[in-house]
Amino acid sequence: MSTGKEFIKGFWSENPIFRLVLGLCPTLAVTTSAENGIGMGLASTFVLVCSNAVIASIRNFIPKKIRIPAFIITIATFVTIVDLVMNGYFHELHKSLGLFIPLIVVNCIILGRAEAFASKNSLGISIIDGLGMGFGFTISLVVIGAIREVLGNGTVFAVPVFGSSYYPLLLMILPPGAFIVLGMLLGAMNQVEIRLAERAGRTPLIRKEHDCASCAIHRAWFNLGREGKRPQAPEAE
Amino acid sequence: MKEVFRLCAVLTIIAAVSAGVLAFVSQKTAEPIADAMREEELQAIREVLPPFENEPDQDTVVLEEAGESIVFYRGRTEGRITGIAFVVTAPNGYSGDIRFMIGVDDSGIVQGIEILKHAETPGLGAKIESQSFRDRYKGKSLTNPEQWDVVKDGGTFKQITGATISSRAVTHAIARGLELFEERRADILGPGKPEEGATTDTLRTHEGSREPVEGKADTLGKPDDSRKPGEGKEEPHKDGR
Repeated sequence: MSTGKEFIKGFWSENPIFRLVLGLCPTLAVTTSAENGIGMGLASTFVLVCSNAVIASIRNFIPKKIRIPAFIITIATFVTIVDLVMNGYFHELHKSLGLFIPLIVVNCIILGRAEAFASKNSLGISIIDGLGMGFGFTISLVVIGAIREVLGNGTVFAVPVFGSSYYPLLLMILPPGAFIVLGMLLGAMNQVEIRLAERAGRTPLIRKEHDCASCAIHRAWFNLGREGKRPQAPEAE
Repeated sequence: MKEVFRLCAVLTIIAAVSAGVLAFVSQKTAEPIADAMREEELQAIREVLPPFENEPDQDTVVLEEAGESIVFYRGRTEGRITGIAFVVTAPNGYSGDIRFMIGVDDSGIVQGIEILKHAETPGLGAKIESQSFRDRYKGKSLTNPEQWDVVKDGGTFKQITGATISSRAVTHAIARGLELFEERRADILGPGKPEEGATTDTLRTHEGSREPVEGKADTLGKPDDSRKPGEGKEEPHKDGR
């Protein structure tokens, strides 16, 4: 794959939130405003790019058996750096993101990219991958944050857009709003993807009809069942 | 066996390098973090006190109250104490503690409050941060009004619609803070103000439940204190929840 493609994939075809559906904890929790989305997204991007870079450059020295602890130490180091620097220089933002900065350590996107990409690819392309994924994550967070903020508070980036007569739809900045907006956006993105694929005459990234049988995780199991080869529970034991 | 050592060695090296990097970053950011914390504190003090000329965080009195140490920041103009800021915690918010700073003048009249930390519902309880809510307490003291409760509980302070619990918690916490200030006024305002100590004593006679303050002529206050132990302190707590 070309460099450009590695960068672009984070925005659409492998968007961490809407396609891979990873890192949902910070996604749901901090997107009460567009600004929080940017802060969280950029902090994660920094950690992602740095950890990808370090892991790609030392990938040949890390024995397979201890790769996960090695990745986690690397990621945790960069997260702590972000935490300290943000506390010192962007104190207000640090206060509003609070607990979620240390929790970047356990963000699945970062460990996922380390494991699936950086540990198998060269330094340059890993950095590109980190940047693409990070910006894809950031943009997704900002979009969710902006929608929630505009409906729930009548502002975008703290700038009022509806005027004072707007009665804010509080639900949107409360936890349920995160699920509602995420679900709507996921659905909309899938719909757009299906249309795009139809027009281009390629197979869509997702299926039109979705059931358990079409899910990658369960496909093998269902196929076995269809062929009557699925092991029965007592036999399996 | 050999492999185990190799794995240990690799992990140790990675951990050691990380520790080294973190030690360096931590050292470099220690000062900016301390500055940011101090600036935050000063900002809150500035918000709640009348204009001052000194540095209140360098001019503090620390008192022990119920096992907690409370810092009183004193703002001065021309050497005279014109305002005192201190942090109180309302333990009975809708979700978690509400920490805020109260500023009073030397006679115990509220000059302003500034919410430092809370976890109230955004859009409802979080409105305790709003200027219009905080201003409701400006210029009030323990004697005016006498009823430190929200309107819903028969008090004077209008609660935020839909956030009675948060409003009530803040109102009661301010009252407790003011009582504490009255109680320990002589200590807070520092030595060399005997005439104010005397006024506090007469004020304090209808309250109980605190250790007699050191270095004061307490003939008036003491018998009263010993008669009603444990009363008074819980007074602003009648929650009805």
